[in-house]
Amino acid sequence: MIVVLGVSHKTAPIEVRETAAMAPALVTEVLSELVSDEAVGEALIVSTCNRVEVVAAGRSGDPAKLDQVSAAVKRALLKRVPAIAPHLYIHQGQHAIQHLFRVVASLDSLVLGEPQILGQMKQAYELARHEGTVGAHLNRVVAHALRAAKRVRSETSIGAGQVSVPTVAIDLARQIFGDLHGHPAALLGSGQMGEHVAKLLVAAGASLQVVGRNQARVSELASQMGGDARTFDQLPKVLTEADVVVTTTSAPGFVVTRDVVDSVRRQRRGRSLFFIDLAVPRDVEPAVGDLDNTFLYNVDDLSKIVAESLSTRKREAEAAEAIVMNEAVRYERAIHAEQVTPTILALRKQFGQSLESELDKTLRTRLKHLSHEERDALHIMLDSALNKLLHPATKHLRRLATDDEAQADVDAHIAALTDLFSLDVTSEPRASESPAARQKRLSLSADAPPPEMAPDNEKQVS
Amino acid sequence: MQSLALIAFLLGVVTYSVSGTLYFVDLARREGASNSAAWAPRVLSAGTVFHLIHVVTASRLAGFSPTESLPFALSLSALMTNVIYLLMRERAGIGAMGVVVAPLALMFLLAEQFVGQLEAAPELPRLLLGVHVTANLLGLGLFLLAGVAGAFYLVQERRLKRKLSFAGLRLPALDRLDLAEHRLLLAGFPLQTLGVVTGAVFIAMLGDTSATALLRALLAFGTWAVVGGVLVTRATLGWRGRRSAYGTLAGVTCVLLVIAIYVARAGVSL
Repeated sequence: MIVVLGVSHKTAPIEVRETAAMAPALVTEVLSELVSDEAVGEALIVSTCNRVEVVAAGRSGDPAKLDQVSAAVKRALLKRVPAIAPHLYIHQGQHAIQHLFRVVASLDSLVLGEPQILGQMKQAYELARHEGTVGAHLNRVVAHALRAAKRVRSETSIGAGQVSVPTVAIDLARQIFGDLHGHPAALLGSGQMGEHVAKLLVAAGASLQVVGRNQARVSELASQMGGDARTFDQLPKVLTEADVVVTTTSAPGFVVTRDVVDSVRRQRRGRSLFFIDLAVPRDVEPAVGDLDNTFLYNVDDLSKIVAESLSTRKREAEAAEAIVMNEAVRYERAIHAEQVTPTILALRKQFGQSLESELDKTLRTRLKHLSHEERDALHIMLDSALNKLLHPATKHLRRLATDDEAQADVDAHIAALTDLFSLDVTSEPRASESPAARQKRLSLSADAPPPEMAPDNEKQVS
Repeated sequence: MQSLALIAFLLGVVTYSVSGTLYFVDLARREGASNSAAWAPRVLSAGTVFHLIHVVTASRLAGFSPTESLPFALSLSALMTNVIYLLMRERAGIGAMGVVVAPLALMFLLAEQFVGQLEAAPELPRLLLGVHVTANLLGLGLFLLAGVAGAFYLVQERRLKRKLSFAGLRLPALDRLDLAEHRLLLAGFPLQTLGVVTGAVFIAMLGDTSATALLRALLAFGTWAVVGGVLVTRATLGWRGRRSAYGTLAGVTCVLLVIAIYVARAGVSL
């Protein structure tokens, strides 16, 4: 079982999140401090612009000791940034698992369905693995959370469409031109959103011309973005050359009229022309959009697409939540099923040893005349009888362990079996383990990351 | 050989159906790459191979050269369409057009079973007839694909112009469709010119002045003129996009009418 402690955009304002954010070097330091605590066995830290969370597991894996783990993590976090205290949330056990699964599936993100969190979680895991602070528990829970997130993305449209005006504009340009590499683009004016779109166009491989009235500002902007500076006198020439035109001036009237665009169509020889009008009041006369092979989207059109994508994502969130809950329950059942494994193994070992010892005695005395083959046959028979004898009990225990309602029964059964047969249900001796030994053990157990951790090309944005 | 032809036919029907379904699933997906996008062209390629095996074996069994039998010739034209599409889909960025290409191939494969035979006139020179049919088949394959690209263009252009919902179909980029359509017309036009010229020679040789022969010739010349017009106006006046797509669709309609006349003449047995 795990605990999750942290602050996110839901509990803390940006000023608080800024103070809580951790650079990789600091993450390393805090991780090391956490696992040196007696209660904490494993830990990883996710630090993005929207959340800082510590996912931790205790040394013994005993659910009863989760409070101690939470307290240790809380101490470590508050020691560094006391201001986060009123904004800190703590999830334990089942709730922590569900929270982690929701976070990784981007259901807890500021922009619902954004894909970056998957990459950020992988990065956090990789860093913790490198530091040797993740082991069996976190390996397993993070791998399962990533699997659940991938299921959510493939079975729902939680990530459908673009959810910001600039990315919608670029998406539209791609629907018209395909690959934007080598396509000439123009930026008219110097509005902030226009600059953002222009930057995205340049990043997509388009060449840029910046057009404006203030020559000094235009030259500066053009050099910043790796484009060429043009004046408004050169507008017809710019419109002849450019395929994508982003307008963002503060002019009170239309800067680009139908007549101007119509006059350059012949020289354009039918090439498509896409206007992205981000200005209010508008820069491009609406009639421009009626011309053949000319497409015009203003800020309202783009915002409408953003709203549509967001509403699709919200609709899909319900289905995504169901998948996440289903995966969390599956994970918990698998974990519960495992808690009876040591008892079953001990029971089997106890019975096996008793039977084998009796058989050996008999084979040394009354049955000493038996050949090797006959002795082997007896051993096999004993093994088979042991399996049959323990099968109903094993099945019953495993069934109880996967039943959410029967956790008290499971504990009672384990206690009864341990008492009745004096079982030696040994758990990993982690409490007495030295930090160096733990570091070594965790490193070894984390040597083979699950397949979900395979590096990918997801962009890391925070 | 009969069972080979039958098995290849059945496998062709199954693979074309599966491929069409996969293309549809891919077109309707909302984000990211899907397995259907990877598998659809592979399954279509397999279908094309089965289709080819079927045409070769079935035409041998029937005792016809595929180019001298209307049902097999139609089937071959669908094969040509498939091959051209599979060769250019990735580079031209027109993968989504498979959603029409696969069902089209299935339709032609099935039609082969029902369209009657047309006996070639014995007085026609075999070599010239072979050139005529082959040029027309290739031209038909190229024009059909150009028509599909044109139709896709019009749908995509309408969505962008009217700012219709982005949810739903994921179509190729407008410029890619326009370019693919242009290249296909450019490749098909010389072949069609050859087909029209040889066709005119045959009409003169046979002295066929029946109404259907005249209508056929008229439609063939009409296609040639329309496609030629699309190419010339694009080069001289820069008429691209919607105008070019409408022209292409008009040309393809003429070609389909010519085929319809052939099929009507040969008869359909259900």
